[in-house]
Parts: sequence; structure tokens; C-alpha cells
Amino acid sequence: MAQIFAVDVRGCKINIRRSGQGEPLLFLHGAQGIIGNERGLAALATRFDVIAPDHPGFGLSDSSDSVDDVGDLALFYLDLLDTLKLDRVHVVGQCIGGWLALEMAVTSSARFKSLVLLNSAGIRVKSVPRGDMFICSEAELLKLLFAGDGAAEWLQSWRATPDLEDIYDRNRAAAAKYSWSPRLCNPKLDRWLHRVDVATHIIWGKEDRVIPPAYADALKGLIAGSTVVTLSDCAHLAHIEQPQVFADQVSQFIQRVAP
Amino acid sequence: MFHLMPYAHLDMSYTEKHRAAWVVLPNTYFDPKKGHELYNRYLDELEMAAELGFDGISVNEHHQNAYGLMPSPVVTAAALSRRTKQAKIAILGNAFCLREHPLNIAEEHAMIDCITGGRLITGMVRGIGAEYFSTGNNPAFSHARFQEAHDLVVQAWSKPGPFAFEGKFYHFEYVNMWPRPYQQPHPPIWAPSTGSAETIEWAAHPSRKYTYLQAYSPTQSVARYLNYYRECAQTMHGYTASSDQIGWSTPVYISDTDEKAREEAKPHIENLFNRYLRLPFEMLFPPGYLSSKSLKNMRSHKRSVSGQEHTIDTLIQQGIIVCGSPETVRKQFMDTHRLLGFQNLLCLMQFGTLPRDLTERNIRLFASEVMPALQRLTDKEYAGMEVRAAE
Repeated sequence: MAQIFAVDVRGCKINIRRSGQGEPLLFLHGAQGIIGNERGLAALATRFDVIAPDHPGFGLSDSSDSVDDVGDLALFYLDLLDTLKLDRVHVVGQCIGGWLALEMAVTSSARFKSLVLLNSAGIRVKSVPRGDMFICSEAELLKLLFAGDGAAEWLQSWRATPDLEDIYDRNRAAAAKYSWSPRLCNPKLDRWLHRVDVATHIIWGKEDRVIPPAYADALKGLIAGSTVVTLSDCAHLAHIEQPQVFADQVSQFIQRVAP
Repeated sequence: MFHLMPYAHLDMSYTEKHRAAWVVLPNTYFDPKKGHELYNRYLDELEMAAELGFDGISVNEHHQNAYGLMPSPVVTAAALSRRTKQAKIAILGNAFCLREHPLNIAEEHAMIDCITGGRLITGMVRGIGAEYFSTGNNPAFSHARFQEAHDLVVQAWSKPGPFAFEGKFYHFEYVNMWPRPYQQPHPPIWAPSTGSAETIEWAAHPSRKYTYLQAYSPTQSVARYLNYYRECAQTMHGYTASSDQIGWSTPVYISDTDEKAREEAKPHIENLFNRYLRLPFEMLFPPGYLSSKSLKNMRSHKRSVSGQEHTIDTLIQQGIIVCGSPETVRKQFMDTHRLLGFQNLLCLMQFGTLPRDLTERNIRLFASEVMPALQRLTDKEYAGMEVRAAE
């Protein structure tokens, strides 16, 4: 069972789920936040000490007036690592969380043991259209996010209690705060990605219509030595839609680069 | 009188292909030659209202849509400023906070105020949710940015320059506005809204006392929001709001009889609500645009009415529009004033596809048969909140 607790990071209360044993692995969630029943995270916890915070403004974490964008978030997470007394960690970042990991890594990858990018936001590949999670209807959103029929179950779990419904709305507002414009990217980030000097593995759901797989190839081209795998029957949320494959990919990669 | 300047030639079959008349409706639906005719016709209608003795004529801002063709209401206000002599020109509103440089609009407002010798009323709005898609502005910062843009503009209008402005969103080394507005310290500021509690509380603050203008809504909601303004003034701020701080905006249609009015207005008003205002929830309320409390209220409200198309009967019945013979319309406004006490009434006399001849007759009938009685109304005819609550 995950241990759920809050830490105070310079006056901002951050909610954290921590489970499993092994080397510390920081999971940075994406626009959809964390609901708590993600099987991919449970699978990772059989091999790692998985630390999954809600970003400021998401989930049960406070929002912070001093964290306005993903650049702020990257510095905030250095404070969070200090608060948790974690020196070096494996980092897995999905969507906005991947973008956040990249913003941290281009500054310095000193705190990284390894990096996994999962359908990551952060860059803009011109002429490759993305889906807009904000303008579409709920039904359309589920089609952007899921390849298979897990969508209904996922949405249902957000509807389970009024508190979860509130968090769902809160997550959407926080995702807008961090990624509205420029949508899901920092247009300057690509010019600094040569600075990512940590072993990097890129995992991508093939059916992702929010950030299509062309982005995986673009990231591979920008991050020296990185590897890519694309997953079938999987869209934006591999840790939910293909939990075991996702967890295996992460642990095999870490086994390979940081045994 | 208020104008939206809709694209009246809209091909209504667009609904088969597109989910909204906003943001995603391709601009190939707009024919510039027809646009030329429409702009001039609509400006004629506003000028006519001014000549017929309306206290003010009003324009507003919307982007990337067929509902209202004024992405810059300053352009239409400027066109009107030299063609009218007495009427106030009300820009209700301009979304200063959607701009990187709100001072540019503030300068334009100051120019219009000087040109007209102080006939400008400035409305400050956040812009509706769809505007945040059109302009790329982040809805999560909407309230904060609105308030900061307001502070910046009011200071620029009223404080001797040059001075530096250091905000969260706006940073200027030199704020030193030439021209300064004609009206001192600045033109009257109004706050038009569809009923955001945050906006109402902000507008009612004693340092502002801005006229709150409730955009068209069912009578019940109009009553709730206008009374909320008065409550805020009384309980949060300890003063009694006067009726000139209260405004209501509604579509109006008058013809010889109730039946005739209903029959003539029907297709055009139904187009307004079912075609031009076709705007899915996600576009109207992007994430972060509303506080979580307001979002919940709005969602339960919308869920209860969604799926049903408006008809003129439901619109009249709910009080969203005022439609009928001159007697009916006059009585309805006088009764509503007695209940809610609004010294400011904005009438949308052209709506949707309403053609020129019907629009002009509507304006004339209002000016001759309804307006004189309303212009005489004061705070005295308002029954007051306690009385109303006791009824």
C-alpha cells in the first residue's frame, strides 16, 4: 500500500504517494494528474521506491503563486528533492511531467540517475498536429487519451466521489495554468536539449493523439544517446493503459544503464 | 441601445459540420462584401438610436466568431464618435487583460473621450471563455490579470506620469499617457458580466462602485446577481448601492401587438440563441476560467438546461428576452425596475438575423413608446430589497 503524506516545501503543501522498495524513482505526472489506482505505478513499486507527488495546484497539493509555469516547477522540484533529502533519483515523466523533467535536466542533470520520458510534452514539432485536450468534449478527450476501451473505467473512477470529481476539475485547471500557451511546450527548450547528459529512454503510446509518436522521434534526435520504444494498443497514458509493459520497459532500461 | 453586429448572412447549415459559431467556425463563412454592408447598416442603426434620443449607444468585443463582428469595439466606437452629438458611447466591454499592452486600448479610449468631449463609458471585461482559445491567453490567470490590467489602466488615466508600473503580468518603465481622458479622473467604468461572483464582489467594492451590468439571463438569475451586488455593497462593504450602479442588458423586440411581435422576432431570436450562441461548455468555460465553486454552479445550471433548443416562448417565459406590444414591454421594464432597481438598461434591438426594416421599426417604437417612461424612473420607484424579500 502506498504511504500518502504531505510535505511542506517553502510554505507550499505537497501531497505525495510513496510505495515500494528499491532505488528512489520520482514519477512526474502529466495533465491528468494521479488518481491513485494507476496499475503502472503499482507495478513499478515492486522494484523501486516510487515517489509520486501531486504538482502544485494538482490533486491535494496547494497551488502556489510563485509557481506559474513549468520553468518554475522545475526549480520547485529541486526544492522538493531537498525537502525529501533525496540526492539522485530515477525520473519518469509523463506528458507535462516529461516536460518538467526536461526543464530540470537541461539546467543540470546532477540529481538524475536516469530519465524516462513517457508521451512527453515540452517541445513543438512544426507541422505535426497535436490534439487539444482543452477545447474538445469529454467524449473526444477520451478518444485522444485512450487507444482501447479503458477510457470509461478511468473516467468512472474520477466520478467515484465528489472529492475526486473536484480533483478532476482542479487538475484540468492546473494543467491549463502550466501548459495553455504555448500549448504543451516551451518553444526554446529544443535548443538546450543537448544538455540532457543522462541516460534517457523514450516510451510512447503509438495511438497518442494528444502528442503523436513523431514527437518521440524528434526527442530522440535532440537527446544524444536516447532510445525509443513505441507501444501498441496504447495512447497517451501508458502507465494506465499498458501498465505491465510500461513498468517492464522502465525497469529493463534502468537495469541496462544503471545496474 | 446595444449592438453585437452579428454576421447575419451566416449559412445556418454550418451546424452540420461545426460544433460552434466560435473559434472553430472557418472564416471562409464570412463574405467581406456582405461584411461591408453589414457594418455600415449596423452603424446606421446605432446612429439612428442616438438621433432618436437614446441616452447611449453601445458596442462590445468578441473574437473569431459569427455572433459579434467587433474584435475591436474601439473601431466602431470611433466611427460613432463623430457621427453623434449627445449620446454616450459605451464600450461594454473591452477586454484589456487579453492584450499584452492594455495601455494601447487605454490610449484609444482616452482619444475617444477627448474627441467626444467626455461621452465615453468604458466597460472592462475578462472576455468570455472562448476568447482564451482565440487569443491564446491563459484562462488560469484570467481574474488576476483582469484586475492588474484594470489597476494599470486606471493609474495611467488618473495618475501624473511618467511613472513605472511593476505588476505580476505587466511591466512598464514609462507610463505617461498622452492624451489624458477628457473626463476626470477617468471615464465611468462599468463591469459587464454573465454573473461571476468574483466580478460582482470586485465591482461593488467602495473604491470602485462600478456599474454592474448583467448580460442577458433568465429573470431569476438577473434578480439573483443584481441583488448579490446590493448585498455585497451592504454586508461586505457597508454602504447602500444606488440603482445607477445596477444595469441589465436584454434583447428587446416590439411590434404592434404581442402576437405580432412574437411572430416577427421568432426566427431571428431563435437564431441568436441556437445558432450564434452555439458554444459547447468546454469552449465557454475553459479550465481555470472559473473558480471551482463557480464551475460547479455553472455545470449544474447548464446540465439542467442542456440539450434543449430555445424557442421564443421559452425565452419570453424565462425573461431572457423582452418581447411584445409597447404596453407589454413598457410594463415589464417598469415592473422589473420596481423589483430590481436598475437605472441602466441596455437593449439589444437587433439580434441574430433580424433584418434592417424590423430593426429600425423596433428602435423607433422603443424610442417613442417605451423609452420616455423609463427615462423618468429613479431610485424612488425601486421597492428596495427588504420589501421585495417580504413579498
